[in-house]
Amino acid sequence: MRARVVVTGLGVVSPIGIGISDFWKAALAGQSGITAISSFDPFPMDGYRSKVAGQVRDFAVERFIDSVHGERVDRYAQFGLVAAKEALADSGLQMEKENPHRIGVIVGAGMGGMVMGEREITQLYQQQKPHRVHPNFIPVITLNSASGIIAMAHGAKGPNLTISTACSSSAHALGQALHCIREGRADVVIVVGADASITPLVFAGFCSLRALSSKYNDNPEKASRPFDRLRDGFVMGEGAGALILESAAHAKKRKARVYAEVAGYAATSEAYHMVIPREDGLEVAHTMKLALADAGLTPAQVDYINAHATSTTIGDAVEVKAIRQLFKSRADKIAISATKSLIGHTLGAAGAIGGIASVLALHTGKIHPTANYDDPDPACALAGLSRSAQERRVKVALLNAFGFGSNNAAVVFKQTTT
Amino acid sequence: MTTDPTISLKIRTALAEYLKRDPDRILVTQHLRDDLGLDSMAVIELLYRIEEAFDLQIPDQDLVGLTTVGHVVSYVEKRLGKSAPAAPIKKSGKPLKATKQSKPSKPKSKKKS
Repeated sequence: MRARVVVTGLGVVSPIGIGISDFWKAALAGQSGITAISSFDPFPMDGYRSKVAGQVRDFAVERFIDSVHGERVDRYAQFGLVAAKEALADSGLQMEKENPHRIGVIVGAGMGGMVMGEREITQLYQQQKPHRVHPNFIPVITLNSASGIIAMAHGAKGPNLTISTACSSSAHALGQALHCIREGRADVVIVVGADASITPLVFAGFCSLRALSSKYNDNPEKASRPFDRLRDGFVMGEGAGALILESAAHAKKRKARVYAEVAGYAATSEAYHMVIPREDGLEVAHTMKLALADAGLTPAQVDYINAHATSTTIGDAVEVKAIRQLFKSRADKIAISATKSLIGHTLGAAGAIGGIASVLALHTGKIHPTANYDDPDPACALAGLSRSAQERRVKVALLNAFGFGSNNAAVVFKQTTT
Repeated sequence: MTTDPTISLKIRTALAEYLKRDPDRILVTQHLRDDLGLDSMAVIELLYRIEEAFDLQIPDQDLVGLTTVGHVVSYVEKRLGKSAPAAPIKKSGKPLKATKQSKPSKPKSKKKS
C-alpha cells in the first residue's frame, strides 16, 4: 500500500507578510501587497509600461537566518531559507532525532538568482572585465542553489531536487514530493517554492510580452484583479512558500500536528504554445480530473479551488471554462479564490503559496477573498468567488497551477481522516 | 622584510569583514585554511576582493603559494612594487615568518561542475 502523505508545517515570505500568522491575517482581510516600484536603481521606471508589483519590503535575511547560509545565495533562495526555517519549526520536526537521509528537499523556482545574475551580466558587458565576474556567480545562479542551501542549513541528506516549470514550478514540487514519500524514498520532504525576480531585465521581459497589468500604475492595489471585467494582465510578485510533507505514519509516530493530507497530483502538457493556453480549456479540465482520480476522489467532492487566476484576459477565462466543464453544475457551489489578487504572481512560489492557502482553508474553514473582483466578467463568473472572506467547511481542496511552456499541474488536498 | 602597514591593514580588514571579526584579531602569521577556517571557495572570494581593492589580477598559478595572511600581504606588496608580470609567490623574495609552513595548499577543487 502506498504511503499517505500529510502536511505538518507551513512557512511563508510574501508581500502581505513574512510568517504564516501575518500572511493569513492579511489574506483573510483581503489586504493587497501590490505597490508601486519606485525605481530599479540606478535607472527610473519611466520606460516601463507596468510600474507595480507585489514586493517583499524591508527584507533583510540576517534578521531571520543567523548563519552564513543566507549571505551566500540570491534573494529568492534567501526567501526560501526563511520560509523553510519557519515551516520546519512549525512542524516540530527535530532534525537531530531524524535519519537525515530520509529528509528530502524539493524546490520549485522559475527564474532563480536573477538579482546577482543581472548585475554581473550588466557589469561584464559594460566593463568587459571577465576577471571581475564574482566567484559566486555560478553557484548563485545555478537553479538548485535554493534546494542546496536549504539542505545544508538543516542537514537534510535525502533526495534534493529543483523543479523549474515557470509558474507551476512549486505545484510540481508538491507533487514530486508526494510521489517521493508515497514511494518510500523519504519520510519527510521540505517543499519550497521561491522566486524573486522583480529585476530590471526580467520585469522588462514580462512587459515586452504584454503580460503585465499597465492600467493601474497610479492605483497599484487595483492592478491584480483576477476574473474581473477590467483586468488587464498579471502583476509580478515575489516571495516563498514552504510546506513540510511527511508520511502519515511518520507524523503519527512523532505525534505531529497535521494540517491536511496531500491526496493527489497530476502533471500534464498542453503541447500547444509557449505562453498561450488552449482556449477550449480541455487540457486544464483533464489535469484537474487526473489529480482527483489520483486522490481517489470525484469532482462532486471538491469544496474549494485555489485558482491559478493570474488576472490575464485569456488565462482566467480558460480556467473558468475548464472548471465548468469538469464540475458542471457543482462549479457554482465550490468556493474559489485567487491568491494572486493579494500578492501578485510570485512565479515559482505561486504553487506553494496557493498550496498554503488551500491547506489553511481546510484547516481553518476560512477562505480568503479575491481582491478587486468588483465587476465579474461574464466569461469568468462563478458563484463561489467573493470579494469577502468566506467561512465554510472544506473537506477537499484543489490547487491549480499553469506555467509557460504549455505546462499544467493540479494538486489535491483533503482533510485528514486520522 | 617589513610589510607595508597600509597594504597589510587593507587585507586584514577585507578578511575581517568577510569573517565578521575584529581586524586586530587577524594576524599575518595565520594560515588561511587552518587558522581562519577559509575553505577553497572562501579563499577565492577573498582574493576576488583583494583584486578589486588593489586593482590587480592574480593569475591561477600564483594561488598555490597564498596560504597565510602574510603570503597574501607579501604577494600584493610585490605585485604593486613592480609592473612586470607576477612571479610565482615562492620566488618572491624572503619568506614571511609564518608560524607554520604547513601543508602546501593544493587547491583541490571540491566544487562539482
